[in-house]
Amino acid sequence: MQIRFDKLGVVIAAIAAYAAFAAPFATFRANRIVPGQARSILEALPTATGTLLLAIVVIAALIALFRTPLVLRLAASVVALAALALLIGVAGTYLTPAGNTFARVSPASGFWMLIFAFTLLLADVLTRLNLSPLGRIGVLVVAALAIGLLLISGSWDNLSILKEYANRADSFWAEGSKHVTLALGSLAAAVIVGLPLGILCHRVEKLRAGVLNVLNIIQTIPSIALFGLLIAPLGWVATHVPGAAALGIRGIGTAPAFVALFLYSLLPVVANTVVGLAGVPRAANDAARGMGMTDRQRLFGVEFPLAFPVILTGIRIVLVQNIGLATIAALIGGGGFGVFVFQGVGQTAMDLVLLGAVPTVALAFAAAIILDAVIEMTATKRRVETA
Amino acid sequence: MIEIEGITKRYDATTVVDDVSMIIEPRTIAVIVGTSGSGKTTLLRMINRLVEPTAGVIKLDGADNRSLPGYELRRSIGYAIQGHGLFPHRTVAQNIATVPVLLGWDKARIKARVDELMTLYQLDPEAFGPRYPHELSGGQQQRVGVARALAAEPNVLLMDEPFGALDPIIRTKAQEDLLAIQKRFGTTIILVTHDMEEAVHMGDKIAVMDAGKLVQYAKPAEILANPASAFVETLVGASERPFRLLSLGRVRDAVEKGSAEGEAIPGDASQRDALAELLWSGRPALPVKGADGKPLGRVTVDGLVKRAARPA
Repeated sequence: MQIRFDKLGVVIAAIAAYAAFAAPFATFRANRIVPGQARSILEALPTATGTLLLAIVVIAALIALFRTPLVLRLAASVVALAALALLIGVAGTYLTPAGNTFARVSPASGFWMLIFAFTLLLADVLTRLNLSPLGRIGVLVVAALAIGLLLISGSWDNLSILKEYANRADSFWAEGSKHVTLALGSLAAAVIVGLPLGILCHRVEKLRAGVLNVLNIIQTIPSIALFGLLIAPLGWVATHVPGAAALGIRGIGTAPAFVALFLYSLLPVVANTVVGLAGVPRAANDAARGMGMTDRQRLFGVEFPLAFPVILTGIRIVLVQNIGLATIAALIGGGGFGVFVFQGVGQTAMDLVLLGAVPTVALAFAAAIILDAVIEMTATKRRVETA
Repeated sequence: MIEIEGITKRYDATTVVDDVSMIIEPRTIAVIVGTSGSGKTTLLRMINRLVEPTAGVIKLDGADNRSLPGYELRRSIGYAIQGHGLFPHRTVAQNIATVPVLLGWDKARIKARVDELMTLYQLDPEAFGPRYPHELSGGQQQRVGVARALAAEPNVLLMDEPFGALDPIIRTKAQEDLLAIQKRFGTTIILVTHDMEEAVHMGDKIAVMDAGKLVQYAKPAEILANPASAFVETLVGASERPFRLLSLGRVRDAVEKGSAEGEAIPGDASQRDALAELLWSGRPALPVKGADGKPLGRVTVDGLVKRAARPA
């Protein structure tokens, strides 16, 4: 039998080999700000466990390297990822001297590269399995549950990022909810304003270029500059408009962050609404008018449902963008996960930076998967004919 | 009855439809023929006020078509277009039910009407009703488009090149279906096309338009025999003229006494088909049979050739 290589598998196996044998698996530091010392897999884990992990990585990489059945590849990626997730916690406990609360153990480049390699394998398998939208959301839920279980079980408690969390558990959830409120709230405001604006731009051709150009310019203003630009007008509003200050409107804080995110959100929502409405088949629109639909009936009965998947794509862009951008809000006292990122940068404590960055990335990733699935579900039902 | 009186449509300096007047008798098919840009579609769209005229009046059964709001007027007039314009996000049944739903019919009545039309158009309501337009063939989509236009039992049906996107075989079938349905419901149909063949075949009267003007409005035989201008003559096609004239007549009307050898041709067939068969088989005469299969007589090449000549 001829042995055949899998193209992506070659890359995965190469990354895994380098990560497992040449890169550090974990970093040990005597306290949270001193430079760390690298530990390989065999140094970071008890001998038997380390050997087991190496064996799992090698076998999984070999399965990836050759053309093997999808089920086998799925199993290899899941087992490898699970082993890595469990054993990095074991490394934390093993490397931390008993009773020492200052020492920090964190995952190092080798660990992250292994995670990357096998996530790549898993993603490739899932793509080839051609899962239904609901199936993909199911996979996401299972992954979230698995990570949640690991967190609750305490097996990661000796990792640096969770030690940072333990010190800030209360503010973590408070900032987290602020982050989500900022991202979702500004999205909701952008949809409420952007949809009618997009419809108006579609109907009134003279408005279209002007509105889209203004929104384009806003989009190019760097976020920090936009915060700065908003301080003066919002400050003025707070002092001169009765009741504004009571609503929480100030030159700094949540208000300018909200306004900035809202402004950034407008372009994708408006532009996609315009594109979506323009993509409605001309004949369908003509028939709708010819059969006696009023403008409103045509908008809600024909144009809007047909443009919906495109508009939803704009909303997806905004949501993912906002979850990321909301991090910057911490700079002007707007709160959110960015608080930990900027504290961490200030203290050169990378673990604290990660405490802010990891949940942000996870949220954005989950939002993208869920909305992609929703878009696909709406689009298959409303497929535009090719005739 | 549709009375078009001095209708003009100008866009800025361009006159698209120029002072057109014509009367369309109830329960007939009027075909508007012309080249692209002749204003035929604009004229059609002014009847249901998708386009508002610059000057002139259009009366439907004596009432000015501006006496109702545009959308209410359009609900009372059937409208079918090239490329059918079906709503891709609605099922076939929902598409057909569009106007009845707009008019607020009750569910049972809508379902009964949708089922009736689908059955009429040889689409099984159980099988095709829940499907989406993209799951249908081009011919089926076109039939759904016409069924949708007829759903609210309109007296008038406007059709803008409804068969333009169909292949020749399906187009012939669609034309026959439309003629049968027009007879059944007695709908007044105004059909726009650029195909003179289709116009001669479908129309009780043909209106020829050129550069916004109505050049000639007459029965097909009259248009063929006495084209009003060089333009109409070109449109008719000098080389096609005798055959188009023959295609208007039925074999039954050209029967002579006597008998002939070979397979009989039905009396309902067109004289053009009979001549084609005679020429192809190299025979001087064909036997003709009635609908009941009884022999009626025969048609001859000589007889048909005489009928193809320019009428006196």
